[in-house]
Amino acid sequence: MRPIERDLLRFKEIVRGEVKKRAREFLTREELFGQVEGRLVSIPLPQLELPKIVYGEPLGEDLGLGGPGTESLGPSGHVPVAELELEEFLDLMGEALRLPRLRPKGEGEVTEEAFRYTTIARKGPRGLRHVRRTLKESLKRALITGEYRPEAPLLVPEREDLRYKAPRSKPRPHAQAVVLFALDVSGSMREEELRLVKTLSFWITLWIKRHFPRLERRYLLHDAEAWEVTEEEFFRAREGGGTRLSSALLLAEEILKRYPEAFYNRYLYHFSDGENWQGDTPQALEALRRLLPTLALYGYAQVQGPYGQGRFLEDLKEALGKEEGLAATEVHGKEDLPLALRRLLGG
Amino acid sequence: MRKELRRWAEILRERALAEGLSFPPVLFEEVGPEEMAMLAAYGGFPRRYSHWRFGSEYLRYRETYRYGLGRIYELVANTYPVHAYLLKGNTLLAQKLVMAHVYAHADFFHHNLAFKPIPKDMEAEMAHHAAFVEKAMERHGARSVEEFLDLALSLENLIDPHALYIQRQAGEDKEERPPDRLQVRPYLDPYVNPPPAPPKEAEEGASPIPLPPRPTRDILGFLARHAPLAPWQKGILEIIREESLYYVPQVATKILNEGWATYWHTRLLLPLLSPEEALEFAELQAGLLAPHGFNPYRLGYLLLKEVEERWDKGRFGPEYEALPLGERLTYERPTGLGLKQLFQVRTVHTDLSFLDSFLTPEFALRQRLLNPEELPRFPEAKKALLFRLTNGSYPIVELVDANYGNRGEILLEHAYEGVELDLKKTQAVLENLYRLWGRPVHLKTVVGGKETLLSAGS
Repeated sequence: MRPIERDLLRFKEIVRGEVKKRAREFLTREELFGQVEGRLVSIPLPQLELPKIVYGEPLGEDLGLGGPGTESLGPSGHVPVAELELEEFLDLMGEALRLPRLRPKGEGEVTEEAFRYTTIARKGPRGLRHVRRTLKESLKRALITGEYRPEAPLLVPEREDLRYKAPRSKPRPHAQAVVLFALDVSGSMREEELRLVKTLSFWITLWIKRHFPRLERRYLLHDAEAWEVTEEEFFRAREGGGTRLSSALLLAEEILKRYPEAFYNRYLYHFSDGENWQGDTPQALEALRRLLPTLALYGYAQVQGPYGQGRFLEDLKEALGKEEGLAATEVHGKEDLPLALRRLLGG
Repeated sequence: MRKELRRWAEILRERALAEGLSFPPVLFEEVGPEEMAMLAAYGGFPRRYSHWRFGSEYLRYRETYRYGLGRIYELVANTYPVHAYLLKGNTLLAQKLVMAHVYAHADFFHHNLAFKPIPKDMEAEMAHHAAFVEKAMERHGARSVEEFLDLALSLENLIDPHALYIQRQAGEDKEERPPDRLQVRPYLDPYVNPPPAPPKEAEEGASPIPLPPRPTRDILGFLARHAPLAPWQKGILEIIREESLYYVPQVATKILNEGWATYWHTRLLLPLLSPEEALEFAELQAGLLAPHGFNPYRLGYLLLKEVEERWDKGRFGPEYEALPLGERLTYERPTGLGLKQLFQVRTVHTDLSFLDSFLTPEFALRQRLLNPEELPRFPEAKKALLFRLTNGSYPIVELVDANYGNRGEILLEHAYEGVELDLKKTQAVLENLYRLWGRPVHLKTVVGGKETLLSAGS
């Protein structure tokens, strides 16, 4: 390996270490949210810059020679940038935040065509020549024509003896998943709480997608009634009104009917302040009892400010706390995010 | 193509020599983009010591090229013979332009006085440094050497840029070089010369000579001599210092050097262009001289052209200087001294003195850097630009006392010129210094308009 490649590897190693160290910080870095749709994530890591005694402000010049541009004079302090594949980035985050691996629940039905070199053909490129099979054909021919002499077993393959490895498409079962986010917009969620919800659902989506590349996303809002919305509306929406958690669960049940549990890993996430209407809780729990066995996970996050008085979390834990597939947690602020994320993913 | 390139290298060399340039042999080598990225990361050399910083730079250059955001056409190393790298796959015209450009750089390295004391065998020297660091890594562990390099590199600008130009009188600096020692490369010193005898009891205690005898900017050198470090650590400090000093004149002549090379590739190539090539040449030239960002090629080239014109038309001397601005713009007295003056400028100036001498209000007006009504702010603007070119845009810091308060602490002083320091980074550097020195380190500077003492370790 060339020395520079070694330096590069070492740099990447340092970057990975730094990303892991700062995983909690990245969790709430919203400028990341935009990029992760792509394949590469690039994160400036000014912490890796070697410190030097420098001026605290860029030295300007006032002669219209161009402002700070591509070619700048003076200390060429380029902030090191980490460029990571999205998958690698997620794995580092997952490792640092101890996020659980998600296991597919049963085989999915949807099949994926995958080419495998499992058959033999008479024509093909030289690189795929199958030596053993070619010699076998040669031997057969030699035996038939009587050219073969055991004391001098020389085989000379001829054109018709040549055999090649050839591809065959093979259906492969592929696990798929659907994730449904329900958000309580009953008015007690403030901007800050909504931001927490956004952050959580963003990372949840990424993490599920990391395990199930075929992921469908659905969103619904609810107060006393529930209705389905698009992703953008989901994050923008603010309504008012009372809270009936059951409305969301019933609609979720309806939507999920289109994703039969036999073929889908179904994830349902529910964000609410937990201030459910008196009398609705039994109904909600009833709906959940029906839903829970069919889901990979039901994640309930009670997001509330300092004066929140929601008690659905307690009711939920009391009634269904022992059930598998229930992931309930409480979020009060940014600092709860790492733990909440882990909990909501079933860890 | 190879043969064609070689032919053109020869043609251009002869033209350059005929026009008055002179330079040592130049070796051209065509390299691919990855290798070019490596060479750029390594500061123009094929081998450097191992450090992740080079990996980071390498990645940046490689990605810049890959995303088509910029390409490095050429790299020249100031060595004997001069090594020049051309980017493989460029058009013949681009390579011709680059080769002419390189000959002018070679001429500049060879003649400009700032490069006088720079060793011409730096390629081998850098390779020695690499071997030294590798050996240290084998012996002391890659991680501990890397950690030390991180410390040392954060001090790489704490050198005296004039160190190579100063010739001290014998005995002027007693502490600098004790007698009875073989003169070798500093980093070899601990291996060649025995360690000094331990002080006799009577000599212990306060030394009558203050340390350092006078304030010094050569902080890296001072640490290499006096900090309580292992020989390999001192060796690394010397390496960093030596390499920093090597780059000093390159940083200090960026505008002039690029301007000079651009002036010459234009002059050498223009008469040789075929009609088909003219358009491509114009395109390349326009890209090179584009006025976005602070473009040293553009400023250097325009200013040299201005100097040539002025000395061709006799726009110099006391009589001219005495004229009011308006008349200076049209003054003419045929002298034809332009080229001669250019050669002199290339020999004696660095960017700072070059701009100080020739960046005039007339030039600013002619190049539309300023509107006539903005002229009153020209002196201020020029001052800001010159300040930016001073000391490679780094603050000037001196080591004043290594026994501050008689406690063996280091006192540094920032020569405050109206711009304050980046406190976070400065503090980090002070912490690094403290780790090297083992005793508290202080820096006198100005923060928020008030004189302040920043400290680490106390």
